[in-house]
Amino acid sequence: MDDIIASSAGGHGRPGGHLADQLRWFDITETDRRQAEALAVTADELAEPIIEDFYAHLLSFEDARRHFRGEEQIARVKQGQLKYFRELVSASLDEDYVRNRRRIGQIHERAGVTPTLYVGAYAYYLHRLGHRVMAKMQDDPAHALPLLLSLIKIAHFDMSQALETYVEAREATIEQREREMSELPTPVLKLRDGLLLIPVVGTLDSYRARSLTVKLLEGIRDHRARAVVLDITGVAAVDSAVANHLIQTMTAARLMGASSVLTGLSAEVAQALVKIGVTGEALRTAGDLQHGIEMAERMLDG
Amino acid sequence: MMAGLGLAPEQTQRIERDGDVVAARQIGRHLAAEIGFSRPEQALIATAISELARNIVSYAERGTIAFATVERDLRQGIRIVAEDRGPGIPDLHAAMTDGFSTGNSLGLGLPGTQRIMDEFDIRSIPGEGVTVTVVKWKSR
Repeated sequence: MDDIIASSAGGHGRPGGHLADQLRWFDITETDRRQAEALAVTADELAEPIIEDFYAHLLSFEDARRHFRGEEQIARVKQGQLKYFRELVSASLDEDYVRNRRRIGQIHERAGVTPTLYVGAYAYYLHRLGHRVMAKMQDDPAHALPLLLSLIKIAHFDMSQALETYVEAREATIEQREREMSELPTPVLKLRDGLLLIPVVGTLDSYRARSLTVKLLEGIRDHRARAVVLDITGVAAVDSAVANHLIQTMTAARLMGASSVLTGLSAEVAQALVKIGVTGEALRTAGDLQHGIEMAERMLDG
Repeated sequence: MMAGLGLAPEQTQRIERDGDVVAARQIGRHLAAEIGFSRPEQALIATAISELARNIVSYAERGTIAFATVERDLRQGIRIVAEDRGPGIPDLHAAMTDGFSTGNSLGLGLPGTQRIMDEFDIRSIPGEGVTVTVVKWKSR
């Protein structure tokens, strides 16, 4: 169990997660696969009426109906559905299978099929399927139940694959947004001749820190600046790594012949940085933006 | 959500990217405020979390930070456990020295964190990862 907890901490079920571990997590055994396969021979016979019912159900929702253009498309989707079902019961549950399920998940995610619709569809299928299998095996209900329970496990595994792709797609979107945010141009504002103000906003990761340094140095060159105020009021987290970036940036500015003042550091953060061991020597700071600008102006005049 | 299933302890933040560092800081600061730490102390705790989380992102790529309220002799505190499955630290003694860094940093992260917390414990098995446990007690 410890293993599972630990791997969940690292995000279990990721593409890198081992298929064997995933199957073990779902407690899918050889017995389960054999049980499901027992259904394979009658898969089409079982699935066809359920698929008909399902699309009738689906198309009774106006929102869903709008996704489909014409009978032909619906017929095609039904065929796809039948294949999906056949694969579920004949489940080889290998890497190919997983890749295929993920691809289908991606298609659905992109089409705007929500997790609610996804899980709901599974529930609909399993419920109807349960009734049909029980009816078919009414002479042998003792065998029907374990068979269905195995199928439920596999179906849940199947669902998890699709939902993982949803999460991945969202994460990719978030990451891209973060990237875009971090690529937001850092404005270099000229306050007066020789004096620049650079407000830094967001998270100062190493990528942004590099672009900040470049911006600052270009700004100094283009405006022939001799003093720069760096305001970090809008920086989300200041720690030794951020302090390091700032020290390097301000040192680079000095090499270009411009003095810089750092503003926007709260009293608490300043204290914490000192305790951690960041010395103030490399950083010239001012209590707030106004003082920072006054300090920079004195540098210019002095 | 997972906590309800008993799969992960409550108040655990996965750490995989810079955004997670900020999230961990916020959780820690919030919990510290709830326990009743002063604002400067909250900032110290948040900074320590920041250092630990950033180490994970920089050196291990992926890990977790767990937060808990602890109590001893009627004194309350916050315990933070940073855990990763990265390459580990080959030389713990060097890593705890000011100015030592294998990356391009100030090398203050670990020793600095030790300075601002009351208790500090680091364990690392090369190849298997690092676990850092820190505790800050509320001043009486």
